[in-house]
Amino acid sequence: MGRRRRRRVDPADAARALPEAIAVLTRTLPTGPSPETFRRAKFDRPEAAPALWRLLFCVLSPMPADGASPSLALEAQARSVKAALRFQGYPRRALAQLPDDGSQGGRELLLALAWLLARGPTLEQLLAQSRVRLGDEMPVCECESLASPGPAVPSVEADGCVDIRHLQWLMGKLRFRWRKLMASQQEQCALLGKIHSYTRGCHSDRSLGHLSVTETELLRDPEGGQQLLQRLERENVRLEAALEWRRRELVFWQWMDTVLGACPPEASQPTFLPKIPAQGAAELELVVRELQALQEELQGVAETRPYDPFDLLVDTWAPPASLHEQDWVGGHGPEWSASRRALQEAVRQDLVALQWAWERGGGLAQPHGPHRLVRTEAGAPEGRGLQATEVIEVLRSREACLEVVLGQLQGQCRQELARLVGTLPGLIWIPPPGR
Amino acid sequence: MLPADCSSRLVAELRDALDSCAQRQRQLERSLRISRRLLRAWEPAKTPVPEPTPGPETDEEVPSSACSPSPQDLKELELLTQVLEKAVRVRKGISKAGGDKAPTVKSESTATSPATRASTRLRASDWTGSHASETKPPRGIRQTRVPAKDLSEHRLVSVEDPACIGRGARAAKLEPSRRSQETVPLAAPQAREVFTLKDKGILLQLPVAFRKAASQNSRLWAQLSSTHTSDSGDAATTAKNHFLQKMQTTSGWPSSRLSPAEVEAEVGRLQKACSLLRLRMGEELTADPKDWMQEYRCLLTLEGLQALAGQCLHRLQELRTAVVEQQLEPWPEGRLPRASSPCGGGADTIRSPPLLLYSSTQELQTLAALRLRVAMLNQQIHLEKVLMAELLPLVREQEPLGPPWLALCRAVHSLLCEGGERFLTILREDEPAD
Repeated sequence: MGRRRRRRVDPADAARALPEAIAVLTRTLPTGPSPETFRRAKFDRPEAAPALWRLLFCVLSPMPADGASPSLALEAQARSVKAALRFQGYPRRALAQLPDDGSQGGRELLLALAWLLARGPTLEQLLAQSRVRLGDEMPVCECESLASPGPAVPSVEADGCVDIRHLQWLMGKLRFRWRKLMASQQEQCALLGKIHSYTRGCHSDRSLGHLSVTETELLRDPEGGQQLLQRLERENVRLEAALEWRRRELVFWQWMDTVLGACPPEASQPTFLPKIPAQGAAELELVVRELQALQEELQGVAETRPYDPFDLLVDTWAPPASLHEQDWVGGHGPEWSASRRALQEAVRQDLVALQWAWERGGGLAQPHGPHRLVRTEAGAPEGRGLQATEVIEVLRSREACLEVVLGQLQGQCRQELARLVGTLPGLIWIPPPGR
Repeated sequence: MLPADCSSRLVAELRDALDSCAQRQRQLERSLRISRRLLRAWEPAKTPVPEPTPGPETDEEVPSSACSPSPQDLKELELLTQVLEKAVRVRKGISKAGGDKAPTVKSESTATSPATRASTRLRASDWTGSHASETKPPRGIRQTRVPAKDLSEHRLVSVEDPACIGRGARAAKLEPSRRSQETVPLAAPQAREVFTLKDKGILLQLPVAFRKAASQNSRLWAQLSSTHTSDSGDAATTAKNHFLQKMQTTSGWPSSRLSPAEVEAEVGRLQKACSLLRLRMGEELTADPKDWMQEYRCLLTLEGLQALAGQCLHRLQELRTAVVEQQLEPWPEGRLPRASSPCGGGADTIRSPPLLLYSSTQELQTLAALRLRVAMLNQQIHLEKVLMAELLPLVREQEPLGPPWLALCRAVHSLLCEGGERFLTILREDEPAD
């Protein structure tokens, strides 16, 4: 419940509240620009623009996991920011029209920043993405592997036509890389297991019990450990600022209203945006085709059924012992309808749950995100966290499902090809052994 | 040869897949390097010089000035070594007269000189180095068992080892008191002081500053996530919504407009829907009903699946027309990688990461292998769909004439049906020469 403070705010406090709020905000942001930049931005001063472009770039594209991103020039950052905002559906067109060299547009950028902050738990997400990871973590869901793989490769390869053998070669290369990956992963797990078991009992936190690689590394390498400590402390500062921001942000939003008011209104005709052919549209088409194929299959199954599935049942099955023969055949009687209704309801709920599985991401019951690995003795009391055995089971069933899907796809191809080739006489098609 | 647009799309997809593999490999190798290094012998940096008796706990609060020997200590050490050398000379003199103690004395004298020379050399050469690297304090290592063990193993600090200042000083101090028990190896290779995680891992202790920072860190995260869920600041939320509303209205675009991000998210959900529906259909079709209730249920489910599929398709077609009508650029070029993970856990675990408990290395390996396998299967399925969409039409369109088409067929078959691993054989019956 929110506590409404009723004390009278004296003008001096009110005047201070805004700069303090902005100061707190800059403490939580990754490349915190100075509070002065914000003030300049309100008046659309050009010197505020570069800092805000950089800040927006940081907010919209956090450091990738392996930290290998080269630092981009301001123009490139500006272009990325524009593209990302357009992607998210930023409503104001004035931003798209700003020059890339960072010479103007402070106010517009400030509005964009506020828009991002207002839309979602941006600050918390930023902190979570760049948080210092002290444990050995492993994600338990596949969300990241299903996400779009890294930065899109926009340029078309100037190769032109390739032979299909090139594709076969690439596939072979891919298979080899996976094998290598599997082997490296096994080795890493073995090493982790050793490190965890050798440092049993060292951790101050009893629930963890042993050190992680990061923690052991900080003992081995004092300089690295020092840097880790500094990062932790910086993060603590940011976290405290984020908590304080929650208390002070109201005055910031009121101020942003005035900033927006100071902008000239935009024309109501949307300017023509050129359509860029992109792979996203192809993805949509793929899904459409898949769904259409599925629908056709389901229709095919339906055609073999009578209109009311009940007629089929009556012919096939013997009536349950409690019913008279005539009731069974006629499909009447209170017991009947009750059972039917119960089954219909059960199926309906089943399907609703299925629908939730894709609309809400499988419900929150499924574990998500990275988990810290902790080695325990088998049979340790539960309740501390997720057990590896459970995750293994889930993964095994997932693996089985995926193998079925892959098998189905391959079977479809086989049938299609056989059909195409089968029309030709004089060919003998010998499938490879081992199938 | 394949047509240009088809080639470029397929090559781009395969390169994408190869790149994501390579990225994982790089991350793994980084971790492997670190882990391997940790399992070899290394020196835990530690706080210096405890009292030279076995069994003291090192005081982790010792300030940094004590980490490196102060000039005071050095002077004292110098004096001590001088005194010892004098004592040796005296004893030598006595033993020359004596004779029984000759061997012991000789060993003692040789013991002193390399030891002290070693320690002085150590001090001189490494002191400057350690001053530079020694920053804020405390590293801990419980010295309970180590000193006694050190000496019983006749270890001498190796001269090249830079982190051994404390140990060097201590060894020099301890040597005089334990000299009588030692038989110092005269051979040149001085045994390096060896710390392996295997033997002494359980002696490690995290430094206090780090522990404090880490506990404060987890406390702050817990606070942040709890206030987040309790949704404090209703006034702030209303202010935010008001601001967003105003942004929308002043921009001149209709509020019903879909952003590319939303379209992409919805397409992803519908794709997931398709695979879930298909899986369920497969289950129902292969189920073997034991009584009428099960069969009825099965039939009803299939009907329901069909209805759902129709709904999803309808929604997709709506999206498609919306994209076209709004002149939306679905996925603009050069966009940044997906900033926030679609993972639901990402938003919720704004607290310390939950624990994943495993009980044996075997288990961990199985878990990791299964994760990789699932990721690989996902990738394979995606590639399969893309290849099917591109290659099958090619096979269909071309006129089935002669060897090029047959070669294409064979290659396509291997790619699509065998994952590129196996090939089939096509035999042609003898044809009359054309």
